[in-house]
Amino acid sequence: MLKKSAANIAGIVLALFFIFPTYWMVTSALKPKGSTITSDYDLIPFSVTLTNFVTAWTKPGFLSSLGNSLLVTLTAVVAAIVIGITAAVAMSRFAFRGRKSFVLLMLVAQMAPFEALLIPMFLMMRDLGLYEHLTSLILVYFAVTLPFCAWTLRGFVNGIPAELEEAAMVDGCGRWGAFQKVTLPLLGPGLVATSVFAFITAWNEFLFAKVLIRSQDSETLPVWLSGFQTAFGTDWGGAMAASALFTVPALVFFLIVQRKMVAGVTAGAVKG
Amino acid sequence: MTAVKTTETAAPAGDIPPALPPAVTGGARKRRRRGSSFDRMLPYLLLAPALIAILWLIGWPVVSVFVTSFRQLNLGELVRGEIVWTGFDNYVTVLQDERFWDVSVRTLVFTVSVVVASVGMGLGIALLMRVLTPWVRVALQVAMLCAWAMPILASTTVYQWMFDQNYGILNKTLVQLGFDSFAGYSWFSSGTSTLSVVGLLIIWQAIPFLAFSLYAGLVGIPRDLYEAAGIDGATGWQTFRAVTWPEIRTLLMMVTFLSTLWDFKVFAQIWVFREGGPSGESTTLPVLQYLEGIAKSHFGVAAAISVLMMVILGLITFQYLRKLLQTEEGKI
Repeated sequence: MLKKSAANIAGIVLALFFIFPTYWMVTSALKPKGSTITSDYDLIPFSVTLTNFVTAWTKPGFLSSLGNSLLVTLTAVVAAIVIGITAAVAMSRFAFRGRKSFVLLMLVAQMAPFEALLIPMFLMMRDLGLYEHLTSLILVYFAVTLPFCAWTLRGFVNGIPAELEEAAMVDGCGRWGAFQKVTLPLLGPGLVATSVFAFITAWNEFLFAKVLIRSQDSETLPVWLSGFQTAFGTDWGGAMAASALFTVPALVFFLIVQRKMVAGVTAGAVKG
Repeated sequence: MTAVKTTETAAPAGDIPPALPPAVTGGARKRRRRGSSFDRMLPYLLLAPALIAILWLIGWPVVSVFVTSFRQLNLGELVRGEIVWTGFDNYVTVLQDERFWDVSVRTLVFTVSVVVASVGMGLGIALLMRVLTPWVRVALQVAMLCAWAMPILASTTVYQWMFDQNYGILNKTLVQLGFDSFAGYSWFSSGTSTLSVVGLLIIWQAIPFLAFSLYAGLVGIPRDLYEAAGIDGATGWQTFRAVTWPEIRTLLMMVTFLSTLWDFKVFAQIWVFREGGPSGESTTLPVLQYLEGIAKSHFGVAAAISVLMMVILGLITFQYLRKLLQTEEGKI
């Protein structure tokens, strides 16, 4: 009994350790101007206001970088998912010469150390005339997420019995019809989990976003936020509000797939 | 084997059906009549876009980084479009630079400390979660989910605020507790201190994935094994050694490999705190690559650093994949 309560106390302390930065971000964002930067000991806010959120929202660059982030991330993820599905179906449903090599290539590509490819990527985008252009980021994020999507979706397609498709084809569906009416709907949960993980990878990316884009108009949100001191000075309340706004989409997606997250990550990484 | 069990128990029943053995799909394929030439081409057509994209956007840069590392390529050559081969000069420059060795050792120490701390605590929390009262467990899981979900740049900004010299909550708390010397204490005045804060941030965000994965592995261990150990009168430690450890060893190794790969490549957090400073003391290899290549436009030298990084990462990845393919042999 004593052991159990000791464990529970440890659990509660750990929960506080993990939640505290989130708590501190939200409460700092909700404090009225002037009571954020204070030497008073203010662990619990006494008055609450949304002015910091308004400040962050209307800061020059916030909305445009939010828009850029959404544009880049969504385009890259949609492209990676569409091309990933076709590759996954090919790898999982067909027997053909070289299949094993393709699967292995996908697995290796998924582990490619992108950070070490910074220099050649930069030179390539410059040669293509895409430097300073959001297209370069879309291409990079697409390349980062594609092998992961193809690999993970292959696992999900493997899990759908091929007999179901064959039955539909016996009933008169074409190959495309069978895929569209049988496999695609069953793939739904797997698609959601895969695209959320890809979304978060691209949403978080900082190094390439910093190197490939230098003009303020084309910045993504992580780069904009990294220079928050230009925008906010020492206005930590505003910076916290901007961070909170940046967190919301990621948190929402996390909650949608929270149980599948673990399965998804380990399925891609650990499960063969 | 553990890894397979893990993923299946982690998923809600029915959502992610276990993968079929190859024989099932293979048999289905054989039953199909010999198709037209379009049918035979179809898998290649389906793979073509992915293959082209991977060769173009991953394969070519990998080749290019090796090629670039043998060129003298600074801003002048880049603008003029000159190709100047210098053999191993870039490598000689890098390897003779004392700073490179300092940075490499620092990166190694940093990576190992962060990996050991996060995997160790992840395992500890996974074990702890098994004995918690349900509501405490849920609270801990929700708290960890919040840490995990926070975008890196958001959490970095929050940590900057918490560790702020004058108004940061940490210093204020320490002063409240009677440690008056922490009033106005700067956590970023030395490289070690800066990297410790960065390390704490990374560990804090890495533990949730590790703890959830390992917990899923632990939950998958059959109950009767523990009952048998209990009947045999095993102590807690003996049970861990004899029952838990063999079952999660593979999974633990896998997440350790992954953590090593991830933590070695950390750039954003280190850069945002002090741009590798003060005076270069918190610079790690990815930061050095950025400083040489992008900030100073020494693309050839930076490419040599990238190649050396890729060799290290490649060795870790190779080991990881070898182990992965061993555990799941025949799955491909």
